[in-house]
Amino acid sequence: MAGRSIMNEPDEETEINLSPMIDCIFILLIFFIVTTVFVEEPGVDIIKPDAVTDVDLEKNSIIIAITADNKVVYGGKEIGISGVGPRVKQMVSKDDMPVIIQADQGSDHGVFSKVWSEVKNAGAKKISVSTFRG
Amino acid sequence: MARRSILAENEEATEINLSSMIDCIFILLIFFIVTTVFVEESGLEVNKPDAAAASNSDEENESVVLEITAQNKILVDGKEIALSEVANRVKAGMKNEETPVIIRSHENAKHGVFLGVWDQAVIGGADQLSFNTTN
Repeated sequence: MAGRSIMNEPDEETEINLSPMIDCIFILLIFFIVTTVFVEEPGVDIIKPDAVTDVDLEKNSIIIAITADNKVVYGGKEIGISGVGPRVKQMVSKDDMPVIIQADQGSDHGVFSKVWSEVKNAGAKKISVSTFRG
Repeated sequence: MARRSILAENEEATEINLSSMIDCIFILLIFFIVTTVFVEESGLEVNKPDAAAASNSDEENESVVLEITAQNKILVDGKEIALSEVANRVKAGMKNEETPVIIRSHENAKHGVFLGVWDQAVIGGADQLSFNTTN
């Protein structure tokens, strides 16, 4: 049993070299830290209208949704048109975030127009309407 | 120098125990993996031009007005046109690049129609594009 006697010797302890694994995990960690944005998603079903001239929007934005039955939703809660102004004002005063209005294609233009005015009066610089890209 | 002789011995090599640090990093990693959402938003920027820029040319009658009724019909000069004609109408109606294009939409019109008209007006080359709401 020559092998066994070698294993039992305290000088020859086998150890897995962990440093390459730690390197990998650090790289993954840094990737996820850098790419993470904490965006409050509305969490409602929206059928977005189609558009040809759409562009990519900034990821870190305030998203306000208008459902097909004209409810205004932010962060999973129905806030109503009057609730848009204070919330946007609070967020925009901290750091200048763009605002995205996700309006359902079946919602009324009047509601969209009122939400747009609220957002504009709250001081948002960039207001966009989200569209569907197939 | 008793201490030194202990350190110099091969059997007593000092090593930092990394496992607790790895535990922490794993927890952080899992937290960030779980909370990451890759938001892919596409859209149009809807902004009215500044009031100052619009007022220094007296062109209420020069501007191209597109009207959307409560029944989602698109009217130009009182005549109904199809959505696909909007781009050409805007192009034909604009005298120069600064000609304002106004979308006058009824508040009961559907948002999808409004955005379609906006999109077509952008294709038609409208630069000073704005909207207002009627009831």
